[in-house]
Amino acid sequence: MESSGTGRKLLSLVLLIGGAALLVGSLALDFMGNRASYRGPMLVIGVACFLAGLYLFPTLTRHKDIINFLFLIPLLFTFAVTVIIPLCLGIFYSMTDWTGIQYTKFVGLGNYITMFKEVSFLWSLIITVLFVLFNMILVNLVGFALALLCTSRLKGVGFFRAAYFLPNLIGGIVLGYVWQFVFNNVLIQLSSNGVSLLSNTPTAFAAIIVVYIWQYAGYIMLIYVNGLVTVPGDVLEAAAIDGANAFTTLIRIKIPMIASTITICTFLTLTSAFKQFDVNMALTNGTGSVQDFMGQYLTNGTQMLALNIYNTAISKNSYALGQAKAVLFFIILACVSLIQVRVSNKKEVEM
Amino acid sequence: MKKLFALLLAGAMALSLAACGGGGGTSAGGSSAGGAAGGSGSGGSSASTPSGGGSSSGEGIRLVNGKIEIDAQLKKLAQMYEEETGTHVEIESMGGGIDIQGTLKGYYQAANMPDIFVNGGDTDFANWKGLLADMSGEAWASDTDSAYVNEDGTVGFPYTVEAVGLAYNADILEKAGVDPATLTGPQAFADAFAKIDGMKDELGLTAVVGYYTEPVNLYWSTGNHVFANYEDAGLSRDDTTYFDLLSDGGKLDEARFTKFAEFVALLQQYADNSNMISGTYDQQILNFASGKYAFVTQGSWIGATMTSDDAEQYAAAGNFKVGMVPYAFEDGIDTILTNSPSWWAVYKDGNVDAAKAFLQWLTTDEAQEVLVMEAGFISPFKSCTYVATDPFAQTIIDYQNAGKTSAWHWLGNKEGLAQNYTGQVFNDFAPGKMDTAGFVKVMQQVCASCYGG
Repeated sequence: MESSGTGRKLLSLVLLIGGAALLVGSLALDFMGNRASYRGPMLVIGVACFLAGLYLFPTLTRHKDIINFLFLIPLLFTFAVTVIIPLCLGIFYSMTDWTGIQYTKFVGLGNYITMFKEVSFLWSLIITVLFVLFNMILVNLVGFALALLCTSRLKGVGFFRAAYFLPNLIGGIVLGYVWQFVFNNVLIQLSSNGVSLLSNTPTAFAAIIVVYIWQYAGYIMLIYVNGLVTVPGDVLEAAAIDGANAFTTLIRIKIPMIASTITICTFLTLTSAFKQFDVNMALTNGTGSVQDFMGQYLTNGTQMLALNIYNTAISKNSYALGQAKAVLFFIILACVSLIQVRVSNKKEVEM
Repeated sequence: MKKLFALLLAGAMALSLAACGGGGGTSAGGSSAGGAAGGSGSGGSSASTPSGGGSSSGEGIRLVNGKIEIDAQLKKLAQMYEEETGTHVEIESMGGGIDIQGTLKGYYQAANMPDIFVNGGDTDFANWKGLLADMSGEAWASDTDSAYVNEDGTVGFPYTVEAVGLAYNADILEKAGVDPATLTGPQAFADAFAKIDGMKDELGLTAVVGYYTEPVNLYWSTGNHVFANYEDAGLSRDDTTYFDLLSDGGKLDEARFTKFAEFVALLQQYADNSNMISGTYDQQILNFASGKYAFVTQGSWIGATMTSDDAEQYAAAGNFKVGMVPYAFEDGIDTILTNSPSWWAVYKDGNVDAAKAFLQWLTTDEAQEVLVMEAGFISPFKSCTYVATDPFAQTIIDYQNAGKTSAWHWLGNKEGLAQNYTGQVFNDFAPGKMDTAGFVKVMQQVCASCYGG
C-alpha cells in the first residue's frame, strides 16, 4: 500500500509539473511567434497531463473539491473564452487607437470623451431610448390584445396564433428588405405626394416601429397566451358567478394573475428593442436627416445605438471608438438586466 | 480497474482532441514549410477546399476578389494557370454589398490571410501599412500608369480601368438633334435638357436624366461618384487641390461647389421624379437600358449590367450606342474621370513569390484576352492590344487617347463620408427640402463634422 501511495504521489507530481511545463512552453512558443506545428498537440497534452495529475493527487480531504473543479473546467473554459476574455480585450481596445488590425498607442479615456462630444451619437442614444419606450408599450399592448383574441372562443384560434407568430420566424434582414420594398414601391403608389415614408426621419422612425411591432408582437403574444391559459378556471367561474363582466374580469382577475408574465414581457421587449439592429440596418441603414440638433445638421436620423456602433467601427473604420461605444452599450444593458433580476425576485416573494 | 478504464477513456478523448487541434496546426505548418516566406495558415484552407481537387503541389495561393461579377472568368484563369504551371490558385469572390475590408480584418485576426486581396484606395491601403509586399521590381510595373504606389513601394496591381461621366444614349441624342460634343458648360446642358424634355413623348422617354439619390443602398452613386466630379472634374490627373482641401478638415471650395450644386439642381429638375428619391440601382440601369432616359448618372460599369441582366430590354431598345460627357458644371470642364477602381495587393507574410508570379502571368497575352474579352475589363497595360466589347470601352479609350481624363480621389475620402453623411444630403436636396444655397451650406457643415469627429 505504502509503495503504491508514493508511486501515485510521484506520478501525480510528474504529471502536474510536466503538464504545466508543456502548457507554458506551448503558450510561450505561440507568443514568441513560433509557427511550429507541434504547438497544438503540446498544449492539449499539457492540459490533459495537468488535469490527470490533479485527479491523481493523493489527498482524501480535498479530493471532492478537486473533482468538483474538474467537472467545472469545461464550462469555466468556455465562459472565459467566449465572454470574459473578449470583454477584457474589448475594454482594453476601447482605450487604444485600434484599427481592427493593429494599434499604435494607448489613448486612455480619449475615445469615451470623443464619443460624448459626438452629436450624432447623442442623437442615436436619444432615439434608441424613445424607440425602447414606444416599443415597450406598443408591443406589449398589441401582443396582449392579440393574446386575448387568441384565448377567446373564436373559430380558427390555432390558425391565428400561428399567423401572428409567423413574422417572428423571418430573419430581421429579410424582413427589413421586404418592408423596404413595401414602403418604397407599394405604399408610395397610394401616397398623394409620391414620397416614400422612409425618406423623412419622423415617418421613417415610425416605419421602423411598425415593422418591429409586426415582427415581435406575435412572440410576446405567445408568452401572454401561455400566461392567460394558466389562470385557473375556478377563479374565473367564481368571478362570473359574482357578476363580473368581461372587462372587470380582465382588470381584476386576469391581469393581476399574470403579473409575472407582464414583467417578463416588459423586460424582454426592453432589452430586445434596445439591441435593435437588423431591421434598422435593412430598412433605413440609419439614414434620414435632422435639420438642427444641438446646432448641427445630422444625417443619421434613424440610426439606433447598435447600428451606430456598427457603422462607427465598420463603415467609418474607427474600431476603437466603436469599441468604446460598445462598452457603454454593455454597461447600459447590464444595468437593465440587473434591475430585471431584482424586480423579478421581488415579485416572486410577493406572490 | 474501473478507474483505470475511465482514465484510459479520458486519455483517448484528450488524444483525439489533440489530433484535431494538431490537424489544423500541421497544415498551417505545411504551408510555411512549402512557402519559404512563412505560412499564413492559408495554405491549409486552400488545400482543403473542394475545388482544390488534391492536385495542387501544396504551394497554392489564394486570391480575394472584390468583383463577384467576374468570378467565373477568374476561376477560368486560375485553371489555365494551374494547367500551365501546376500552381493552384484559389479564387474567393466577395461583393454585392459585403464589407470586404471588414471581412479581411476578420481573416487577419484569424491568421487566415489570403495571399492576394483587393484594396479599394488610400484608406484601404492605409489599413495594411507595412503588411504588403513591394512589387516595384516586377515587369508589369513599368507597363502601366495605374499601379498603386505608396511609401511601402508599388503595392497595388491594377486590373481594369473604370470611368465616371454623365452616360448618354447616343441614339436618342441623335434623334433629338443634340450633339454631345457641344455639351461643354452648364448653359449648354440646360438648353439640351430643355430641348429633349420637350420631345419626351416623341422619343419614348420617361425623363431626360436618370438621377437617383436613394440613401440606403445607392448612397455611393451620389456620395462617391457624383460628388467625385466636384473633387476632380476638369483637373489634370495629378491635381489634388479640392481633395486636399476636403482632407483638411472637410472643407469645400464654396465657389466651385456652388456651381456643382447648381448642376445637381439641373439634373434634379429633369430627373425621373417617381424614382429620384427611393428608386433602386436595378431600376435605374433597367430604365436606361430600355431607352427611357437620355442620360444616367452612373459610370462605365453599367455596361456589364446592360449586356447581361438587362440584355433583353437593351436589345429591344435597339442596342443603342452609348457615350459619356463630362459633368461640365463649369465652363471649360472637358474631362471624364477614369481610374482603377481597386487594386490587388500581395500579403507580405503569404506565399509572396507564387503570388507575384501569378500577377505577372495575368499581364501575358493569353490572360489579358480572358480579362478583356470575357470579363470586359479595360486593360491598364500599355502592351495589351485587346478592346473589350463593353458598350463604354470605346468611349473610355477615346477619352484616354485624347488625354481628356482626370483621376478620381474619392477613394481617399474619409471612410463613411458618403454612406453616413453626404448621400443623405443629396437625398434631402432632391425633393426640395432645401435650396441650392442651403445645400452648399449643409454640405460644408456635414463634411466638416465627418472629418472633425
